Amino acid sequence: MIRVLGNFIEIIRGSVITARHFIVNMWFHIVNLLGIKTQRKGAVTIQYPEEKKELAYRHRSLHRLVKRENGKPRCVACMLCATVCPSDCIYVEAAEDPDPEIQKYPSQFIIDLSRCCFCGFCVEACPEDAIRMDTSLIEVAGDNRDALVYDKDNLLR
Amino acid sequence: MSKEKTKMIHIQIDGKSLEVREGTSVLEAALQAGIEIPHLCYHPAFPSEGSCRMCLVEIEGRPDLELACSFPVKDGMKVSTQSEEVTKARKNMLEFLLAEHPLDCPICDKAGECKLQDYYEQYGFFESRFEEKKEKKEKKVEIGKTLLLDQERCILCTRCIRFLKEITGTRELGLFNRGVHTGVNIYEGNPVENNYSGNLVDICPVGAITDKDFRFQTRNWFLGSGPSICPLCGRGCNIDIEYHPGFPHFPVPKRVYRIGPRENHRVNGYWICDYGRYHYSYIDEDRQEQIVDNKKEKLDSWERVLDFLKERIKKLYYMNKTSRIAVLTSSWLSNEELFLIRKIFQEDLNVEKIFLTDPLPGEEDNLLLTPERSPNSKGASQMGLNFKELDLNKLAERTEVLLMFGSHITEHFATAQTQEAIGGIETKVLLNPHISDLNSLMDVVLPTCVIAEKEGTLTNVKGLVQPFSPVFEAKGHCRPEWEVLVNLAKKLALNFRYYSPFTSVKPIFKKMQKEIGFFGTKK
Ligand code: SF4
Ligand code: SF4
Ligand code: SF4
Ligand code: SF4
Ligand code: FES
Repeated sequence: MIRVLGNFIEIIRGSVITARHFIVNMWFHIVNLLGIKTQRKGAVTIQYPEEKKELAYRHRSLHRLVKRENGKPRCVACMLCATVCPSDCIYVEAAEDPDPEIQKYPSQFIIDLSRCCFCGFCVEACPEDAIRMDTSLIEVAGDNRDALVYDKDNLLR
Repeated sequence: MSKEKTKMIHIQIDGKSLEVREGTSVLEAALQAGIEIPHLCYHPAFPSEGSCRMCLVEIEGRPDLELACSFPVKDGMKVSTQSEEVTKARKNMLEFLLAEHPLDCPICDKAGECKLQDYYEQYGFFESRFEEKKEKKEKKVEIGKTLLLDQERCILCTRCIRFLKEITGTRELGLFNRGVHTGVNIYEGNPVENNYSGNLVDICPVGAITDKDFRFQTRNWFLGSGPSICPLCGRGCNIDIEYHPGFPHFPVPKRVYRIGPRENHRVNGYWICDYGRYHYSYIDEDRQEQIVDNKKEKLDSWERVLDFLKERIKKLYYMNKTSRIAVLTSSWLSNEELFLIRKIFQEDLNVEKIFLTDPLPGEEDNLLLTPERSPNSKGASQMGLNFKELDLNKLAERTEVLLMFGSHITEHFATAQTQEAIGGIETKVLLNPHISDLNSLMDVVLPTCVIAEKEGTLTNVKGLVQPFSPVFEAKGHCRPEWEVLVNLAKKLALNFRYYSPFTSVKPIFKKMQKEIGFFGTKK
């Protein structure tokens, strides 16, 4: 009985806090709107998607496969990214590169972004700096699962 | 092995007292006792060479560090493998070896099972101090039909050269040039062309000799491995089958990626032949996975198939006409399976027409490969089965039920010939792990397992009975022949007490040992 009462009191306290934040911020916004300068501003809401927040320097966004100077992927299909990936969402198939200095290149490179948890381990594991998550593309969405399975052509940029 | 009187002596390695045979090296003594001393050029199959200098140890009373691989043990010797001086020397040796080593691990098929990698992680972990440019050498020399050599990766341990000298005697590889330019290579235009070349890939401690067949197929750490027996000739080499268990979210094209030798000094030593190593595609390719029902009798499950077979056989049995049954066996079957065929058909049903269809003999060599191209020809000959001479007309004459194990008959007769002969037989059943030309001639084709998917024993040409167990599960409807035979016997209600304990291979083997002298006397 007392427990139930305690819970009930907590619900009321929560509502009061929410209401207080709402009223206080609303108050400052209205006052600012009326041109009165106060020391404190109302809490800011970014008007996404019209307005976008700047990404942090160390952010992780959509993967890309880095190119060599000649446009070929820098990736040598060592499969370390596929090995380390905790979501098992990278698939690499290797093929023979005619250049004996390169020897191995990925004939297939697939990332299933619908499974990816954006941990960035693949980037850490890559010995060739061939995969990066610095495209600033964070709005990865699709209306079916297949649209989120990116292959080499999508990833090479 | 010669039975000389060898003196046992006592030594101490890292404070552990050991009793070892006189004449062994310190390294061998340590390995026998489970003490790890890093080594690259030493291989138990050849005399030691002492070229890699990884195995340095400290021996009490000796002024310098000594090579464990070539220093014989002496009574009362005290060896230290972990002293500060030894670990320092090891690190220095690794630094020498790596000074000219390319950073190829990402594209090197050996990565993950490379001794140099392992030792660097165990004893190295230094920053490279090498500022000069590394020596450029040939990175992709074709030294054999399945072999590629990368001279930059080679650490000049000469294991490959010694293998070709000591084991095959073909001496195709040698050391060329001097100093920093030294490299392994073939003698102009004469590639490594013997039936054991694949072993070079296994014994090369680094990724200098790699296999074209395995090249870039996958990474070795994805693979699982299971012990098995090579079924491709009568030797019965002990092998490890390395297979891909599959990725959780992506399909892999096949299961088996490579075959390697499993040490057994009674059969194959450390080696297997190239024929056995590279012909593993039979495990995954052209496999019969579903029941084929050409008669359209709704035989879509094993239960129905067995009922169907029971009807046909029972009918002949009651009419005392089991002479109208013909069974074609093959020595690709295990001992237990052949034993069941003997029991059910020869003894219980009095079937006379039992034939053996084996693959045609092939070439042999003077090391392991035998002319028999099946794993159990010895077992088949010792089973007491009264095989009739293989003759299509005799086989088909007045036959009403034909049971065929395996499709090796296609090697003896053209398919059209077989078709003509057996066309009139009322019920034709084939038990086969593979899709073959015979499928269209049969009423029912039943998918069975290959050796890698079932359990049993095989008798090699020398008479050694070797057990094998499944490396991975069978696909689709595939069932092992012994299970089919036991279930058929149960369906036919032949001596229930006899067949009912046969729920696995072990009790069948025990019975076989009791009943067939050959298997009882041999252990
Ligand atoms: S970010 Fe993490 S989950 Fe996504 S592909 Fe890379 S390793 Fe896998
Ligand atoms: S870790 Fe780097 S080089 Fe290796 S497969 Fe992945 S992207 Fe390619
Ligand atoms: S190729 Fe391999 S086995 Fe031959 S010497 Fe070089 S490292 Fe040793
Ligand atoms: S010698 Fe015979 S059993 Fe041994 S690996 Fe070769 S084919 Fe297989
Ligand atoms: S193992 Fe002793 S020198 Fe190579």
